[in-house]
Amino acid sequence: MFGGLKEKLQAARIRLGSSIQGAAAIQAAGKEPIETAPDAAKKIISPAGPKFADKIKVLIIDRELIVSEKDISDSLSELEMTLLSSDVALPVCDAIIANVRTSLIGKHRKIGQSVDALVVGALKSALLEVLGNGFNLVEYIKTHGRPVKILFTGVNGTGKTTTVAKIGANLKKQGYTVEIGGGDTYRAGALEQIGVHAERIGIKLIQHQEGADPSAVLFDSVQYAVSHKIDVVLADTAGRFHTKSNLMNQLDKIRRVMKPDLVIYVDEAVAGNDAIIRAAEFDRTVGADAIVLTKADMDSSGGAAISIAYTIGKPLMFLGTGQKYEDIIPFEPAQVVEELLGSDS
Amino acid sequence: MTQNELMTLQHYMKEYGQQAEIFVGQLEMLENGRMEAHAAIETLEAMLSADDGITLLQIGGGASVRAKILEPDKILLSIGAEVVVERSNKDAVEFLKERIMEMEASQKKVTETLDRLRSQMNEINKRLESGYQRAAAAGQDQE
Repeated sequence: MFGGLKEKLQAARIRLGSSIQGAAAIQAAGKEPIETAPDAAKKIISPAGPKFADKIKVLIIDRELIVSEKDISDSLSELEMTLLSSDVALPVCDAIIANVRTSLIGKHRKIGQSVDALVVGALKSALLEVLGNGFNLVEYIKTHGRPVKILFTGVNGTGKTTTVAKIGANLKKQGYTVEIGGGDTYRAGALEQIGVHAERIGIKLIQHQEGADPSAVLFDSVQYAVSHKIDVVLADTAGRFHTKSNLMNQLDKIRRVMKPDLVIYVDEAVAGNDAIIRAAEFDRTVGADAIVLTKADMDSSGGAAISIAYTIGKPLMFLGTGQKYEDIIPFEPAQVVEELLGSDS
Repeated sequence: MTQNELMTLQHYMKEYGQQAEIFVGQLEMLENGRMEAHAAIETLEAMLSADDGITLLQIGGGASVRAKILEPDKILLSIGAEVVVERSNKDAVEFLKERIMEMEASQKKVTETLDRLRSQMNEINKRLESGYQRAAAAGQDQE
């Protein structure tokens, strides 16, 4: 998962480290002497300027290197290109670069302290900043009244129905009673598909005939869940593009009738920047509380996964990573960052 | 094999078939992107070697005009995330070559998944065939 981005980030990490090490080597060779106590003392007689506190610190602590903008500007530009070419959205890219810059520039590094640890720390904190906190569905279910009603929306062909089944299997495994509402009454074969999934994982399915009003199906699903004390209702819907106003109005009606606790937008990670644009449109028109990205195992760039939470301000909940029911993983930012920057870091 | 089991297998076949179609579509998109990048590399390299800088510019509908490229070494390149940057001709070619490698790696991955799906479909198909044969044989026995 995100192999291409991982490779590129590792390369960026090495470049940044080399830049800092290069600057340190120059200083050590005496071309740009490190301020030792007597030199610095001379300079701080007129303490005007922002570096005053830093210089005092240099005096007190030890021989140190202060990373300057000049030392890492080329590496930061390369990092920016790396992120953009991995389809990381521009505002997210700007935020990451600004964060890395703030973390590194002006940083005191003692001679001998690992440069790599400094760089990895900066990259990790920058990525964590844009990835947000994720969304713990189980925790949400635990703290909300039953049934928890979850509505799934998204464009066609992104794996919504399979995602509904995967989440259903995941929740069932954790001991919750789950029911699926077959709200995709439009696509030919959709009801059969969800029916097979429901049967395979042993979950109750509420469905009407093909072509029925999805609002009515999902209303009935909620009623059934209430009367049978079911913990979670997963409401599948037909895929639609945000540009089709009649279909978006239908989704709005479903929302009003079903009154979901959560609206989940599902898209595919491989769609890259397009997924972000579509998620923003869906959020604007019918709202979204969290995102699921499917086919993450096929996505080498990782751009959508990195950008979506920061760009639309909604957390990423799950990543779909394969064909089997268990191929869905809760999105945990710390784990993703660890995987991208290597466990040896 | 019961009628119900046969129907379930048919559903599996249908579902796998739909998934396979999606992957085939992705492979086509990747192949188109790869071919496009190769064509762009060829054009970029030819632009540098052309003495007069004149090229045929396709304007759609099969029509082309002769156009003179003013700055063959300044390439506006879409690098992703809807961002376009200016690069030298050589750097643009390098970038496109890297893209081709990435697309080929993705193609390999999608092909592997598709092969896995197809082998599962073959397996289901065999079970379906044997189910049909048994059902037919049972029908003949009853007659």
